[in-house]
Amino acid sequence: MSVTENRVDKKAAEKATQAEQKLKRSRGAQAVKDRIISIFIGFFALAWLFPIIWTFYSSLRPYKEIRAGGVLSFPKELNFNNYIEAISRMELPTYFFNTALITLPAVFLILLLGSLMAFVVTRYSFKANVALLLLFTAGNLLPPQLVFIPVFKMYLALGDLVGDRRFLYDSPFGVILIHVAFQMGFATFVLSSYMKTIPKEISESALVDGASVFTHFFRVMLPLLRPPLASLGVLMTTWIYNDFFWALVLMSTDSKRPITSALGRLTGEFVTDYNLLAAGAMIAALPTLIVFFVLRKQFISGLTLGSTKG
Amino acid sequence: MLNKISGHQVDRRLLLKGAAAGGLGIAGATLLSGCAPGASGPMTFGARTVDESPTVQLQGLVAAYTAKTGNEVAYNATESNAFQNNLSQYLQGTPDDCFQWMAGYRMQFFADQGLLEDISDVWDDIGDQYSESYKIASTGLDGKQYFVPQGWYPWGLHFRKSMMAEIGMKPEDIYNWDDFMGALAELKGQGLIGLASADKGGWEAMGTFDILNARINGYQFHVDLLGGREKWTDDRVKEVFRHWEMMLPYQNTNVLDLEWDGAMQLLLQRQAGFFMNGSWFGGNFLEQSQEDYDDLMIVPFPEINPDHGRDTVDAPVDGFCVAKNGGNPDGGKDFIKFAGDMEGVQAMLDTGIPLTSANNGQDKSSYDAFQNAQQAVMDEAKYITQFLDRDTRPDFAGPIVGPAFQSWFKDPSSTDSILESLQSQWDALAPL
Repeated sequence: MSVTENRVDKKAAEKATQAEQKLKRSRGAQAVKDRIISIFIGFFALAWLFPIIWTFYSSLRPYKEIRAGGVLSFPKELNFNNYIEAISRMELPTYFFNTALITLPAVFLILLLGSLMAFVVTRYSFKANVALLLLFTAGNLLPPQLVFIPVFKMYLALGDLVGDRRFLYDSPFGVILIHVAFQMGFATFVLSSYMKTIPKEISESALVDGASVFTHFFRVMLPLLRPPLASLGVLMTTWIYNDFFWALVLMSTDSKRPITSALGRLTGEFVTDYNLLAAGAMIAALPTLIVFFVLRKQFISGLTLGSTKG
Repeated sequence: MLNKISGHQVDRRLLLKGAAAGGLGIAGATLLSGCAPGASGPMTFGARTVDESPTVQLQGLVAAYTAKTGNEVAYNATESNAFQNNLSQYLQGTPDDCFQWMAGYRMQFFADQGLLEDISDVWDDIGDQYSESYKIASTGLDGKQYFVPQGWYPWGLHFRKSMMAEIGMKPEDIYNWDDFMGALAELKGQGLIGLASADKGGWEAMGTFDILNARINGYQFHVDLLGGREKWTDDRVKEVFRHWEMMLPYQNTNVLDLEWDGAMQLLLQRQAGFFMNGSWFGGNFLEQSQEDYDDLMIVPFPEINPDHGRDTVDAPVDGFCVAKNGGNPDGGKDFIKFAGDMEGVQAMLDTGIPLTSANNGQDKSSYDAFQNAQQAVMDEAKYITQFLDRDTRPDFAGPIVGPAFQSWFKDPSSTDSILESLQSQWDALAPL
């Protein structure tokens, strides 16, 4: 008995060690896999970061050195002089103010109007609501380059009608309006898909409790829309912040244009000091980075919107 | 407590009074400025540059004008590429009264559309200070003047004096094509690049095309070709590319990877013997060091066809125009007259920024050696062209000719098909 017991024990022990070894082996394999994945991720992270690092590196070198020795020459001088010059040449306060003057109202209006629109097309059923949603989304498909001439002419005509050519054209108001018009379609689309995931019962009980349309929107739906509004807010801020085109074609006075055109002030007619430009680009990129880091959580939760129900 | 409150009230009343007084003051000031002395009152000036030196120069001009007439001038500067790309909208919308622009077709194009103010009467006053060729460059297709020149620069072969002295080459003696080919071969024999070239920007090589075409086929054919009166498929155009192909072995191989300043670096770093470009880049040499600038020299592109000698030069003229849709065209006219007059030119020269002015009154004894050489290149030429992208339709030069030349550099053997495609794209352009 004892012998057989022993045998059984031994067998069991053997099995146990075998299982352990197997586990170890698979753990080892897993570790190797992990390492490969890490290297893979690390490689792509570096590839992604490279342009930024290179921009930063370039921004520390004087153009004179590049001109004399080429881009790949060994740096003799590394300093922040380009930043100092970029800040003084770009007239940062003016242009940052212009950008804020355009971006903030535009983002606010896009979110407000977009959510109102999404509310109507998802919560009320009437014949035209799908068509309406399509119309709004379709507007997004037109490239700005295609429509800017008619918009420009329209702005001038409207300005002449009011008696002041600068009513819409060459005014921040006009640029805000065109951004609202262009981005609202996308905002409506995103917000309405999110609203479809909010149970109908919530709306129904609000209606049963006697909520008016406005109470229903402002006090029931709007609080539920916080995550998509935040992520849309980040996206819209970035897009409008980065816009160069509309401000260029719809404004004639350079000192009213946003920060993106201030970057242009660093490029000369013939000579472009890329090192100075790199410093300017780093400065101009800062605000978007800050907005992103502050609202990072909402941004990522916004990206996964609709990937799970609820 | 009570005191404090009443104190607040007094403050608020004072504030209101102050605001009212301030408002009156502003209203009064506007009333006053409405009847300011001088013909024209406040106006705006649009500069198409944000570069440091030209800005100093232009602000010197503006300050001198204000000092003389008492008219306020608002100075609006826009980066040149943005300004240029947006000019059509700018002129149709709310342009500045007077703005900086270029002579030749680029001006005629907008004058033809009725966007520029006719300033023939300004030319009646200051015309005797300019030679006839500048007046021609300032004249629209309807025979009226729309432009006042500021400065010019020639396109030619640039080289470093010290480098040529070391090699024992005399660029001044390179007169014709054979001399030039011999020089290029010699440079290549020394392990150097003969001719530094770039075309990444799409426009750099246009200067080479211009000069080859003018040398081989003459000024008239060149102008007619760019005006659409001759065909790109003409054998004479093919001849241009045949000559260009002869130059290729002596150029750097990365023509399409370099913008103009990359090619300039080859000259600066003494890797190349010649650099075909507009003389404006001298400013870069000066920025590098006085020594580099003093070493820089220019000669005209060699003769190819003895019938035409070296009678043509690309010499873009920059200057000013008055916008029709500006708020104060009379003010613009008054300003442009001052800018074209020797008085305004002197104000720009007084800033100390080098300027080769179009005005006859400029004292040329103050020219440095490089400026004198530029003048010599100009003097040798009988005809002045503006540069390909200024002499033909803007929707043809940039979007069509630029890429066509780039694809020619990729495959020089495809000259025929590239020229055919150029012609068919010209034919397909919407009529003006």
